[in-house]
Formats: sequence, structure tokens, C-alpha cells
Amino acid sequence: MTTDRLSTIFAALADPTRRAILARLAEGDATVSELAEPFSISLPAISRHLKVLEHAGLITRSRSAQWRSSSLQAEPLREATAWMERYRRFWDENFARLDAHLHRIQQRSEDQQS
Amino acid sequence: MSDTTELVITRIFDAPRELVYRAFVDPDQLAEWFGPVGYSVPRDTVDVDARVGGHQRFTMVSDEDPTQTSPVNATFVEVVENELLVGEEDTSAIPEFAGVTMRMRIEFHDEPGGRTRLVLTQGPYPPEIAEMAREGWTSSFTKLDKLIG
Repeated sequence: MTTDRLSTIFAALADPTRRAILARLAEGDATVSELAEPFSISLPAISRHLKVLEHAGLITRSRSAQWRSSSLQAEPLREATAWMERYRRFWDENFARLDAHLHRIQQRSEDQQS
Repeated sequence: MSDTTELVITRIFDAPRELVYRAFVDPDQLAEWFGPVGYSVPRDTVDVDARVGGHQRFTMVSDEDPTQTSPVNATFVEVVENELLVGEEDTSAIPEFAGVTMRMRIEFHDEPGGRTRLVLTQGPYPPEIAEMAREGWTSSFTKLDKLIG
């Protein structure tokens, strides 16, 4: 997945209305009207949100004009955000080993000198 | 709050700068210390040419399951002996970042008492990832993941 793709997905998820739409679709397929119900914004506004989510590959529309969630992007998305934390942990562990290594080699040369 | 899209890790080591630097460019030493818990680097996988345009290659091997390997293949773009190492890594082995070039910068600074401050900077990450990681979105994401998936 390219960074452009990831950016599109993150931008789609950055809006609370869109996240709420996704949560609703996780419970089952829905029409535009059903999705619009909990919100005080217009149907066209909801449709615009749906277009953004569709463009990001997070939802798809069936032939009967029902919207459904697409789980295809969820795993790489989760992985991407976990990446920085994993990387930080990776280096913390590396540096702990480097620390021990540096102590060892300095101790070794001290022992040789004494 | 700054708009950084980089991961920055700072660590102080109880050793002079030259020693810390050498641990990164000496193949024998890299094989001795590099790797997270549970992984080792076989000496025969290590190949380091610490010059601009040179490379740093090695493979991390899982202690528990030696078929689980993780290769590192970086090219040096900046090298100042005992001061700075900047490498670029092709991330095609990592699906989530396929094709993106990650750059890693390691600075070695003097600290009082014959110690060294090492500053590691890695990136760039897409800004949204950095923001989410900073705000601890990973746990929220796991919840969202359950909702979506």
C-alpha cells in the first residue's frame, strides 16, 4: 500500500460522522436514508461522506443501493499505525542490547589493561 | 505542537562517541548486539561499507524459529565518522509501506562524563500516521478495526 493510499484512508477516517457511518455499517448493510437518520445533516451531505468512504475503499455499494462496510483495508491500516510504535519498541530493545554490549567491550579492555 | 512526521528516539550511552559509532559500522560488533529480544544477527549475513553510496546489510534471525528472518538493506546517503550516519532503506519487504523509501538518521553527540547522546530519527511517515501514533490512536484503531472488520 502506498503512502497516497494510506493518506486517503486516514483522511476518510478523520471525520467523526464518517467514523459513525462505518460503525453503523459494521452492524449491517444500510441505505443512505438509514445512514442519515442519526444525523442532523442533509442527505446530500451524507452522500458526500459516503463518496469519500467509498473512494478510500472502506465501503462499497451493492446493486440494490445498500451500502456495506469493506474490511479489506482494516488490517493494513491497523498495521500502519502500529508501525511507529513497533519501531520504537524495536529500537528500545536494540539500544538495551547496545548498552550491554558497550559495557562489555569496555570492561574487556579494562580487564586487559589491568 | 510540531508537525513532525518522524520518529525520534534519544538515548544516552555510557561510552565515548567513537565506540558507539563503531558499534554501528563494525560488522563483528553489529552481529554481537543488533536485534530485538529473541533475534540474532549471524555474522555471515553482515556486510557494511560505511561510505556515502555504501550499504549496510544484515539479516535478523529468530532464535526460536530460524526460518523466520528479517533482512535489513540500507544505503548510506551521509556519513561523518563518529558523528553521523544517514541511511535509506527500501521497504519493499514491509507490505504496509511498499515502495516508500524510509530514511534513518543516527547522530552521535558528546555528553559529559565521557558519554554519548545518540539521536535516531526515522521517517518520513505519512502525517496521519504520526498524528495517530502520537495520540495513541492505535488502541482506538483496534476498537475501530473490530467495528469495521
